[in-house]
Amino acid sequence: MILLEPNSYILEESLLQRFNSEKKEAVDIKLVDFDGVTYHLSTPTSRSELVLSMAVPCFSELVAHGAQDILNREYGAHLLPETEQGYHVSMKFDLEKTDQDTALSHAAVLSSAALAKHVSLLKRNVFAAPFEKAFKEWETELEQPGTLMTVHYREEEAIYIRASEDRVTVIFSTLFNEEMDRIFGKVFLQEFVDARRLPSIQNAPQVLYSNREPPLEIRHLPNLKDDESVGYVTFVLFPRHFEHPEVRGKTISDIQLFRDYLHYHIKCSKAYMHSRMRARVQDFLKVLNRAKPDRTGTAEKKLASGRSFRPNPISSRPTV
Amino acid sequence: MSRLAPVVIDNGTGYTKMGFAGNTNPQFVIPTVIATRDSGAGGAPNVPKKPAFLSAGASASSHLASKRGIEDLDFYIGDEALSHTKTYAHSYPIRHGTIENWDHMERYWEQSIFKYLRCEPEDHYFLLTEPPLNPPENREATAEIFFESFNIQGMYIAVQAVLALAASWTSGKSTDQTLTGTVIDAGDGVTHVIPVAEGYVIGSSIRHIPIAGRDITAFVQQLLRDHQEIAIPPEDSLDIARRIKEQYSYVCPDIVKEFKKFDQEPHKYFKQFDTVNSITQKPYTVDVGFERFLAPEIFFNPEIVSSDFLTPLPEVVDQVIQTSPIDTRRGLYRNIVLSGGSTMFKDFGKRLQRDIKHIVDGRVHQSEDLSGGHLKAKPIDVNVIAHKKQRHAVWFGGSLMACTDQFYSISHTKAEYEEYGPSIARHNRVFNSLA
Repeated sequence: MILLEPNSYILEESLLQRFNSEKKEAVDIKLVDFDGVTYHLSTPTSRSELVLSMAVPCFSELVAHGAQDILNREYGAHLLPETEQGYHVSMKFDLEKTDQDTALSHAAVLSSAALAKHVSLLKRNVFAAPFEKAFKEWETELEQPGTLMTVHYREEEAIYIRASEDRVTVIFSTLFNEEMDRIFGKVFLQEFVDARRLPSIQNAPQVLYSNREPPLEIRHLPNLKDDESVGYVTFVLFPRHFEHPEVRGKTISDIQLFRDYLHYHIKCSKAYMHSRMRARVQDFLKVLNRAKPDRTGTAEKKLASGRSFRPNPISSRPTV
Repeated sequence: MSRLAPVVIDNGTGYTKMGFAGNTNPQFVIPTVIATRDSGAGGAPNVPKKPAFLSAGASASSHLASKRGIEDLDFYIGDEALSHTKTYAHSYPIRHGTIENWDHMERYWEQSIFKYLRCEPEDHYFLLTEPPLNPPENREATAEIFFESFNIQGMYIAVQAVLALAASWTSGKSTDQTLTGTVIDAGDGVTHVIPVAEGYVIGSSIRHIPIAGRDITAFVQQLLRDHQEIAIPPEDSLDIARRIKEQYSYVCPDIVKEFKKFDQEPHKYFKQFDTVNSITQKPYTVDVGFERFLAPEIFFNPEIVSSDFLTPLPEVVDQVIQTSPIDTRRGLYRNIVLSGGSTMFKDFGKRLQRDIKHIVDGRVHQSEDLSGGHLKAKPIDVNVIAHKKQRHAVWFGGSLMACTDQFYSISHTKAEYEEYGPSIARHNRVFNSLA
């Protein structure tokens, strides 16, 4: 698995299970997604009414960039006007109705699968708001660079997006809690820059990485953390990345998961290093074991009590 | 920001149960299997390749991407792994409850966290489980992986048996929330009987029984093969046996009477099982007969299937309790808890309770007789507790536990790990008050 999926697999599975099960059961499930998003799946009133709620820490910022319009566009029929206490988005599904559909034909089963898939993209769609807004701004053929949009998607990390006349710039700030992670991150992002030189991926967006030093576009902002643990990744998106609606959708999905993608790969690299280290230790142990004295010929020793025992050969250390 | 729900992962030999704390069922139950690109199938340790730039004669090209492949990312876990067995080598990283292949396990966790649970491990606490008698080195290695690779905030490693006890508190039959009891954990591969006193596992008295879900399925398969007029296609045979076991089996109080009942009223007891051939898609029917009550009977009369293990389950439970410290025995009899899928048979708990009660009462009588009628023993009450959450009892217990406020105070945090190293995982803070 190289790329992370844009949709939430766990949410899709949970929904599909409810849509397709014949027995109506009371449900109360709480789930978590990247970036502090939580879901709550429940049947508050009757067993055939499934309510899905989502809480997003930075929801107010996303709404300011038009998240509500996207929600109405994507899930209009299911949205509830009143959101559940403590959550920002609520949706309702009538299981009776989907049930009838599933009884009808095979195509309907597919449709419930499609619906589950579509709903599991909820977080992706909400986070797509500022990106879509930026791309729309670009379409108006800006003379001046557009407004700088900021989304604090995690407590101390943010996405900055700005449309200009010929490009859209996306800047991520990310925080490395560990020094080791920072180094891995640096190597990894350096690779990103290098890999772009390969002829097959010349069309990829330009990536810049800076540690501690914020890029020029956001240098004027107050409250930027000035610390070794902060890194900034800048993507420069050109029209070819967002002109075509399909490509645009994919760009949004990929780019908003970038932070998680980066951290996932740092963890994978560590796992890779660990497996190399284990293999190395195994090799060294083999060499060490060769140096073990041959003890087969040792005579039994006697204790004062008259019992005899065989001295233990040097036992090999436990390997992990 | 409020704390996000802790992640509960129960890695078993056959299946991994994982999900977020606070829910009543695990979100994913997937086989603990990993399919990798390594060619070394069949037990040989799969040594990952060295990055090419370290070996001699590296190419002159400047970037790493061309020098090293991404084989270490090319793998599947769970059901996906099983569907890729043709092109990938698959392996089970856990054997007999303990982790054997750490390389595979680390990658298994990697994908379960990022793909299945979809959470950022740096934001969560984790609750993991371990089998009884897990070597402390294993616990350390687990802590190492979770703190070093995944940078988690904190973790707690709980013993499966203790979690199963905690899960039984939801049953109406258990009156007091005690952590003393005998856990009968019958999974897919092996059955354990584990005595727990005040949350402390009495390691010296644990017994293993080599009869579990897999053996029952094999037995049903054998019975079907013996009496069926129509031939069940061999490729479906195991699956049909499993489904018949799960749907129709129950525990009877007396085999002889049960045989008679079947003979007198065959219509009432014999069942028909409809299914389709997985290759030709032709429907056919399988008759389900005596295997309905004979299948779970192998726990009570193991001589039916096994020639070297002959002690019935109730006797094993009695022996386990009799070898435990004398002051815990009443508590152990009072609270016998079932856990795992193979204890889900109808009336399993009832039969077990009756048989154990029979053994215990017999012994009490005998000692009363020996004393010549001078001593009167206080009757020992035997309780077998069956409850709704039995199938995933361990996971459910973990989910309950991770919801309590104490969870955060007994977990080992990242700061502690950095201060003291992996050896913190050897110590369980639940027992602080005892020390």
